Amino acid sequence: MTEPGFNPRPPLLRILSLWRRQAPALILGALIALAALASGIALMAQSARFIGAAIAGLVLVVPLSLSILGVARVVLRYLERLSTHDATFRALAALRVWFLRGLAGSAAGGLGLRRAGDLLSRLITDIDALDGIYLRILVPGLSALMLVPILAWAVGRDSVIAAILVLALFVLIVGLLPIRAMRAARAAATAQTEAASSLRVAALDALTGLREIKVFGAEGRMLANIQAKEAGLFSAERGLAARGAVLQAGSFLAAQAALLAVLLIGGAHAPIAALIAAFVVIAAFEAVGGMPRAGALAGVAAAAASRVIAAAEAPPSVPDPADPVPLSAATALRFDDVQFRWSPDHPVVLDGLSLQLPAGARIAVLGPSGAGKSTLAALALKLAAPQAGSIRLGGVDLAQLSAADVRTRIAYLAQTTHLFADTVRNNLRLARPDATDDQLWAALDAARIADMVRGLPDQLDAWVGEQGAQFSGGEGRRLALARTLLSPAPILILDEPCAGLDPATERDFMTTLNLTTQGRSVLLITHRLTGVEKIDRVWRLQAGHLTSATF
Amino acid sequence: MAQSDSAETIAAKSWLRHEIGAGRRLASPAIAAGVAQTALAIGQIFCATRLLAAVLHPTDHSIFLAAAGFSLLALLRAGLTILQERLAKSLGIGARRRLRGAVLSRLLSLGSAGLRGRHSAELTGVVVDRIEALDGLFGRWIPAAAILLISPALVVLAALLVDWRTALILAVTGLLVPIAMAFAGIGAAAASRRQFTALTRLQTRFIDRVRGISTIVLAGRAEAEAIALGVAADELRQRTMRVLRVAFLSSTALDLAAAVALIGIALRFAAPLRAGNVALIPTALFALLLVPEFFTPFRNFSAVYQDRMAAQAAAEGLATLPSAEPVAAIATPPIRTVAAQGVAIAFEDVGFAWSDARGPVFSHLSFRLPAGETMMLVGPSGSGKSTIIELLLGGVRPQSGRITINGAPIESVVPAALARLTALISQKPFLFAGSIADNIRLGQPEASDEAVQRAAERAHVTAFTDALPDGLNSLIGDGGFGVSGGQAQRIAIARAFLKDAQLLLLDEPTAQLDPATERDVLDALRRLTLGRTVILATHAAFAHEFSGRKLDLGARTLSRLDSVL
Repeated sequence: MTEPGFNPRPPLLRILSLWRRQAPALILGALIALAALASGIALMAQSARFIGAAIAGLVLVVPLSLSILGVARVVLRYLERLSTHDATFRALAALRVWFLRGLAGSAAGGLGLRRAGDLLSRLITDIDALDGIYLRILVPGLSALMLVPILAWAVGRDSVIAAILVLALFVLIVGLLPIRAMRAARAAATAQTEAASSLRVAALDALTGLREIKVFGAEGRMLANIQAKEAGLFSAERGLAARGAVLQAGSFLAAQAALLAVLLIGGAHAPIAALIAAFVVIAAFEAVGGMPRAGALAGVAAAAASRVIAAAEAPPSVPDPADPVPLSAATALRFDDVQFRWSPDHPVVLDGLSLQLPAGARIAVLGPSGAGKSTLAALALKLAAPQAGSIRLGGVDLAQLSAADVRTRIAYLAQTTHLFADTVRNNLRLARPDATDDQLWAALDAARIADMVRGLPDQLDAWVGEQGAQFSGGEGRRLALARTLLSPAPILILDEPCAGLDPATERDFMTTLNLTTQGRSVLLITHRLTGVEKIDRVWRLQAGHLTSATF
Repeated sequence: MAQSDSAETIAAKSWLRHEIGAGRRLASPAIAAGVAQTALAIGQIFCATRLLAAVLHPTDHSIFLAAAGFSLLALLRAGLTILQERLAKSLGIGARRRLRGAVLSRLLSLGSAGLRGRHSAELTGVVVDRIEALDGLFGRWIPAAAILLISPALVVLAALLVDWRTALILAVTGLLVPIAMAFAGIGAAAASRRQFTALTRLQTRFIDRVRGISTIVLAGRAEAEAIALGVAADELRQRTMRVLRVAFLSSTALDLAAAVALIGIALRFAAPLRAGNVALIPTALFALLLVPEFFTPFRNFSAVYQDRMAAQAAAEGLATLPSAEPVAAIATPPIRTVAAQGVAIAFEDVGFAWSDARGPVFSHLSFRLPAGETMMLVGPSGSGKSTIIELLLGGVRPQSGRITINGAPIESVVPAALARLTALISQKPFLFAGSIADNIRLGQPEASDEAVQRAAERAHVTAFTDALPDGLNSLIGDGGFGVSGGQAQRIAIARAFLKDAQLLLLDEPTAQLDPATERDVLDALRRLTLGRTVILATHAAFAHEFSGRKLDLGARTLSRLDSVL
């Protein structure tokens, strides 16, 4: 994963440009943070001056200014915490909204269809890595910039040599070490991410196969396998931590050296000025002590940012035509001599496939898993485009229609259809935002789940847990089915609608599918039929094209 | 938020208390390193004071000695920083390794029966993410909490040696911090908790929407969902900020205490210094420089409070895992093994319920299956097909009646002996990332290449592996060759051939396959079942392909009535 000449700036700058609308809050937070830091420095300088003055026997009314600065410092710190947290919340939300919007518009919008849950998890981790950009990289970076002239003035007043030395050490901490950390972090973070993901795969493997592992007496070997993956993760972590600790120690030593330089070089000329400079140096170096770590964070964030941007800004897999043709009123769907493969290095999935789904027709496509049944749905929904042949909706080539228009005509129940952590009502309304309760219940009835929902204390307002966790697999499937049936689209594509249903429910559902989909076209994709379906035609998908099948 | 703690939260709290106690003992080196840091810092401050005094009054000759001492202590502190970081990492790693090992051993020994209803993805979340989230508790929070109790006291002690008034000021302001926090009504704890909960909620919603992005896009609701997410985030921000406005006062109390200490000490020395008491200069500087060191442990502690919050959430996930062995009492009858010459099974008046709430799956179930014969279990889902298989795997025990294997009650058979007798093929066979041969060797890791090859041939695995460049050594799983449902099932059959167990449990082995693939697998299955005792849970159509007894659990009729007890 080492790319020569990697330049972290563009992706991070791109993320910063997303925060244009949040800029006032972010700038306000940063300004208050700088003011708080300035008051802290001033407090230290004044304290030193006060001590110096007291030692010199001068009478100054310093304690008042000290108290004022002290209060200002405390108040500004409070305001800093509030304003930077507020700004962080705004930035986090903006980032997530932007990402969701981008993902929806990009090729990744079709990811769920291809079971890329792993890829999505990784992207979510990447978004998390961007959360520290403002508070842990940007604000300390600005503080460092502000401190350079302050240090130059405070130390340089007394001794130019000391000032040059101190500034050199300061630049080491805020510039060189962070940049080194940034370079190193990228590769190390990638290694750690990969180790974490192989630990997850090993754990999921073993926990999926608990029964067999027990019967075949393989508990010890599976445990050892997971622990080997875990050890890989730990060694990657140790490497990162060790590097971080060395950076931290280096930054500490630089601060101590700066202090010594001020006292030994400056102290010879002007003791009081040196004392003040020393106190300023202490405060300034303490403020930027975390910069090397921030550099490592920036390395991780830059790598994450480039992945996130790539996912969110990838062009859609099927671009919309510049001048889309309006939908025709007709709803016949036909595939003509369609040729398709997902990418040039993948095998051909559909090879000269033709299929007609006239308005109101019911057609089943059978075939083994991997034969390309779901690809048919992806093509019809414009998630992919055929390399040759044409697909027409109401006589118009899909290539001339906008994807959003096509999707208002086709409701799709995917194998991976998602249930949201929301109420039953809101889950259903995704398909039809203005649906009345009667319509909701009708759809639930048709999907054979209404009785179950009626039995829940909150009925339509019952909470569907994360990924439908409150419902069993079969119940969740039926809820998703109800959502598809609720959609007003005239064409339904049902991809294994009965997966997870027991045979009796499956037969019941198939028997009534005729009634519940009255007047709509249905394309049923399944690996087997129960024998009770009322289907106009049954096709078998084999070797990339359809052959007539009887059942 | 006045909410009563759920049983889960209470269990998690007591678990955490116990773990923190155990973790603190292990953390002693890290705590000692932290306290040593403070001691060295005090030494450094002493040297710095000498240095400053020398600068201000150049009469003192020890300036280079002080500088040397200062530098030496700085080097030692830098070394200790590295050591402390490493110790912290090791603590986090050690704790995660121990906890993950314990949780995995528990899950592996509970088996699927004890974890009924728990999704494997959810369990993986506990085993991987929840345990990762405990890193900060052991590596950072526990040492920081202990150091908070020791290091400030050490600083006060150092102050006491030079000036009792300074010590008093430090002690009073230090004690004021918790009092001020309590007075504000909401401590740093509450601030972190609110912030943590708010972020978690926003993140949960976001993750949920990202996972369902295809569903949203295809429903044409992407823009609406993006706007809704923005609105929800904004509401959450406003509510959280209202709470934080009060809660951050506690952090301010810390700042205020530090400022008060600084000004108090400055004032205490102002008058005598102005009066010309030059001898007090080093003491005054020493006292002033002690202030930041005194408050450092407080700041470090509040910086790691987040880790404690994350641990609370993680502990709740761990606490919901079933802990007790589902087999309550170890059987009293003498434990025995069973002869491997054929296995006969009998259910006598067996009743079973997964839980009282859900009622019995079946009651008074009786049948007998002689060695070498096949029994098909048919019936709708929920009628108990899988339950019978779980009972025969020995993971759960019936509440009434008895199950015998070759006449011996199943609970008297050593679990390892029972496992040795049995082979299992389920709906979706378990395949792990590794080679196909490794997967076939699951039960027999020491089997020879010839034996694996033979088993693969009999199960028709070689029919597809021969076309692969690496044959049986082809990698499958994570990043490897993707096997289809039928191929996976044939690998599982080869595994059973290699194990050569007398009792074969088949749990809907072809439910996920299309009819054409089903026929391929059927042939291999028929060969496997020859001469073995077989329990086959299946749908009605598939049952016709086998000869043997048939138990319809839906209608509860047993064809070939002669076998009813």
